[in-house]
Amino acid sequence: MAQVPVQTIHRDPQLFYWILFPITIVMILTGILRHYATVLMSSAPKPLDLRSTREQRSLLHGISLRTNFHVLSPRSFHSRRDAVITAYESGAYLKDPERKGQPPANPMTDPSSMDGMMGMMKNQMAMIIPNTLIMSWINAFFSGYVIMKLPFPLTIKFKSMLQAGVGTKDMDPRWMSSISWYFLCMFGLQSVFNFLLGNDNAASQMAQQMGQMGPQAPQMFGPGVDPNKQFLAEAENLAVIEHHSVLDGVEQRLLEGIRV
Amino acid sequence: MPSQQELDFQISPLVQESLVHNTRTLHNLQSLTASLFGVGAGILGLESYSGFLFYLVFSLITTLLFYALRIAPTAISSPSSSSSSTTSKGGVLSRYFRSPLDFWTAGLTNGLAGFILTWTLFYGLVRA
Repeated sequence: MAQVPVQTIHRDPQLFYWILFPITIVMILTGILRHYATVLMSSAPKPLDLRSTREQRSLLHGISLRTNFHVLSPRSFHSRRDAVITAYESGAYLKDPERKGQPPANPMTDPSSMDGMMGMMKNQMAMIIPNTLIMSWINAFFSGYVIMKLPFPLTIKFKSMLQAGVGTKDMDPRWMSSISWYFLCMFGLQSVFNFLLGNDNAASQMAQQMGQMGPQAPQMFGPGVDPNKQFLAEAENLAVIEHHSVLDGVEQRLLEGIRV
Repeated sequence: MPSQQELDFQISPLVQESLVHNTRTLHNLQSLTASLFGVGAGILGLESYSGFLFYLVFSLITTLLFYALRIAPTAISSPSSSSSSTTSKGGVLSRYFRSPLDFWTAGLTNGLAGFILTWTLFYGLVRA
């Protein structure tokens, strides 16, 4: 069986100094810039007025009562539950009780909900603009250069992705062009940003995209959610709880624990 | 009545924030060391399978050292694991992390991208 000769390409070592390092440094600096831009642009959440704070807190109160009922004694749990359910069903905690039966306001017209949308828009912009700029920068200056060889073999399918702009048919797909180094940087620099900027940085666009693709938690107090319906659902959840305490049978467990 | 598992969890609850913090610490360590392993593999000039094997072995060693140095000593000194109660069924790991499988294998996917990046970079620099 004939050995396939290993392709060697003589490259100018100056390629490293003028292509590889600039792309890497620009990627790192862009990440840092994006992090600080996100930090600077993030507007502090507006303080809510008294009545909407009461609405949100009382709903949270019901939820924590439902999740932590086992640390309460039966009597105190039942009295709490009765009070909370009565208030929920009568709508005592609602922000404006007279609008109880009406559908929620359109989130587009409500000025208070526009802030959240603006924040999301800003984040999207902070991701899209640098990516487009760097992509076009690399395409304009560095397209068509073969700079490096991957240390592991790839199938021929990757050729069109890794060697975009290099019009050589028979070249091993292990050789990569500058644009594929850009992609590698985009995926792999997360650990560098972790090291430089701390843990919850906003530098990597990949992490943010992952977060958006994942199952999104249903918005609790967002625009367009009817608080009265939330209260009624929570009251129903509370009503079906069959109470037991963690202290039920604690003597038995203690005796089992100290048996020699 | 609640199931036995539910009751166990209510008797000895896990604090969610601490679990997240532990996992994040481990994640930080793994992504940082993965990049350094990439530097090592690139300088050694490893190719294809041997490089990935290098990564696999060394990241497992990292997790093992983390287990031996950070988790095992605290587990021995803590009193609740020495008394063989029913709650320590899942072993020591479940007191600090979500699941043993997660603990041992999550590091492989965490650091892979960083490993490939630095591996490629240093391989290219050394073999230029």
